[in-house]
Amino acid sequence: MMQKMSLKRILPGLIILAAIVFLGIAGYRFMGAESFIRTALSGLTLSALYFMVAAGLTIIFGLMDVLNFAHGAMFMLGAYMGWQFYTNPTFLFGLLPLILAFVMGISTTGLWIPVVSKWKITDKGRKSLGIVLVMIALALVGLGFWKFDVLGLAKTAMVTAMNAGNPLAEASPQEVLSIFWRRPFLMFLSGLLLAISAARPGDDTQVIPSKKAMPWVRLGILLAFTIAAIFLRESASIAVLKMNGTLRFFLALLVGAGVGAGLGSLVEVSLIRPLYSRPFYIVLLTLGLGYVLREVIQLLWDPIAYSMDVPPLFSQPGKAENLLAWFSGQNLTINIVGVTFPSYRLFIIVLGSLMLLGLFLLMRYSRLGMIIRAGVQDRSMVEALGINVKSVFSAVFAIGVGLAALGGIGAAPFIPVTPNMGDAYQMQGFITVVIGGMGSYGGAGVGALMLGMARAFGDFLALKFNMSPAIAEASTVIVMILVLLVRPSGLFGKKE
Amino acid sequence: MDNILTLESIHTFIGQFHILEGVSISVPRDSITVLLGRNGAGKTTTLKSIIGLTPPRLGKVIFDGEEVQGKRAYDIAAKGIGYVPEHRAVFRNLSVMENLKIAEKKRGDLDRKSDFIFGLFPDLKRLYKLPGNHLSGGQQQMLAVARALVADNKLLLIDEPSEGLAPILIEQMMVAIKELSKTTTILLVEQNFIMASQLGETFYIIDDGKSVETGKMSDLVKNEELVKEYLGVSLGKSGGAK
Repeated sequence: MMQKMSLKRILPGLIILAAIVFLGIAGYRFMGAESFIRTALSGLTLSALYFMVAAGLTIIFGLMDVLNFAHGAMFMLGAYMGWQFYTNPTFLFGLLPLILAFVMGISTTGLWIPVVSKWKITDKGRKSLGIVLVMIALALVGLGFWKFDVLGLAKTAMVTAMNAGNPLAEASPQEVLSIFWRRPFLMFLSGLLLAISAARPGDDTQVIPSKKAMPWVRLGILLAFTIAAIFLRESASIAVLKMNGTLRFFLALLVGAGVGAGLGSLVEVSLIRPLYSRPFYIVLLTLGLGYVLREVIQLLWDPIAYSMDVPPLFSQPGKAENLLAWFSGQNLTINIVGVTFPSYRLFIIVLGSLMLLGLFLLMRYSRLGMIIRAGVQDRSMVEALGINVKSVFSAVFAIGVGLAALGGIGAAPFIPVTPNMGDAYQMQGFITVVIGGMGSYGGAGVGALMLGMARAFGDFLALKFNMSPAIAEASTVIVMILVLLVRPSGLFGKKE
Repeated sequence: MDNILTLESIHTFIGQFHILEGVSISVPRDSITVLLGRNGAGKTTTLKSIIGLTPPRLGKVIFDGEEVQGKRAYDIAAKGIGYVPEHRAVFRNLSVMENLKIAEKKRGDLDRKSDFIFGLFPDLKRLYKLPGNHLSGGQQQMLAVARALVADNKLLLIDEPSEGLAPILIEQMMVAIKELSKTTTILLVEQNFIMASQLGETFYIIDDGKSVETGKMSDLVKNEELVKEYLGVSLGKSGGAK
């Protein structure tokens, strides 16, 4: 019986493998070696990108039944943040002290709980106090940004990108410290008020966190970083720009993913958490959030398409004859079994594969992964084991959005960076998730592979037979329809 | 007597349905207390109200001298309550080992307890690496109970452990629960009256969402009228069927 069950489990995989082998041989005979390999490689590149978007979507949906319609916008945001860091990080370093100060304020929540939970307030007073605190906090944020030249900061990278001039010349329009110090201070105050409100004053039924030194240590570290960020606003961006381009690029990947993860957890805690009992509202919320993010980006950097430079590691002139030669030459293109292929696209394929591997290791061997897998099946039982599933939710949202943002900055060097760059990928991401089965990251991997290949070979066929390129665009949807006809819950989805 | 758990007239709603309309029970330490009642009387909801999965809207839940009603489920569980839900809700896509590991409340709980657990359920040791969905119904039920033993729980809430089990497995489960009661307190929901009457020391009958009768199990077994009225079991028949 056991053999039968495991056979059933891997059956979809086997069928897909057989289909791929069959199509592969057919394509190889029909297309000829060179164009077949070239098309397959571009298919893999697309697959890697689709996977980066779909992975986050599917784990978020699997654990908390949230369809994140802002995922494409977060992909785009990752691309913009990474591009900023790579081209001219003045904007990021200008905002960093404010954000750090704000986070520092919020991180005091645990310290407030023992104090404010003892306050004697009526239920009604508690509610209005919460509203008042949040309102004042928002006003303080507004005050913190009062007459702050955010647009000016943002334009620095634009100037760099448009004129291809020396970015260092544009790197320092920061405010003088004597004016600037007020902004992080106000942000800290605002965070502090939000922390008090989050500590639920007067609510003495809540658990008081155990007295460990941790919150103070965390606060100290944040304080140190904030002060450093205030003083290093200008020099840090100059230092980053003087860095080796390759190193800067890899740091940009981290920055993109980090901003994505930070935004993800912020969105989960502040916007999505109150709405878990109203799933339909969450759909509208994330949809709206996507629009807001696109508009904000458009406001900051105008609705123009930017092209980010391919980092030096992948842009030395010439063609590497094999992988080893590329390591020493770092050439723009690389020879793969007789096909000339851009080395950066190869990097995307590697990045996508690493993400799949990383996700696999996380899900399979970490306690967090164990809790996620268990929570996908039965959330309330996980709670009944003494595990705070809600806090796992924020982690999962952060990971999912972080992956999308990493995908965005990874894609930035070869697709135009525009406010709408994520939309198409979000669409393909959803199709990938549906094909693979909601909640299965392995399914997302297989689905992404199928879609990427369908798209690449669809493009090839459309070109060959002089058909409209719309056929290639439709090919992914056709794959989805075929899969859903056979398996309505996706390849690896749970049977409803 | 010293009670580890006291429910003071709790009222629980699921959606708009008023499921519990005043359940009051006391669970004495280091013994087995059994909740009896017909299907749909509210036994499972009582357990869920204790652990906070369906928090009561009125009334008090006092665990180990502390009011826990209204707290989140993970908080209540962390205070030392182990919950074995009905229908053997093991995590099907986690291995047996992971099913146990996830129940750790402190690092190393499983290492400390594994000998004890495998002593009670030797089968699980053999199945250690298998995913939960490869286990038979009986093995899943044992895993569900074993999972509640990993952490040092002061109270176990066990919901219908004999449901759908073969007679020989029921026997094994009874031995295990008896063994457990030596070290911890157990609140048991059980439809199988033979099993309930052999295990329990104290009983409570829940009917239509209210706790209606309580006493010593040894007295209940003698009181045919009461059993017939609330449980719909005829003692003569089922008692002799064994």
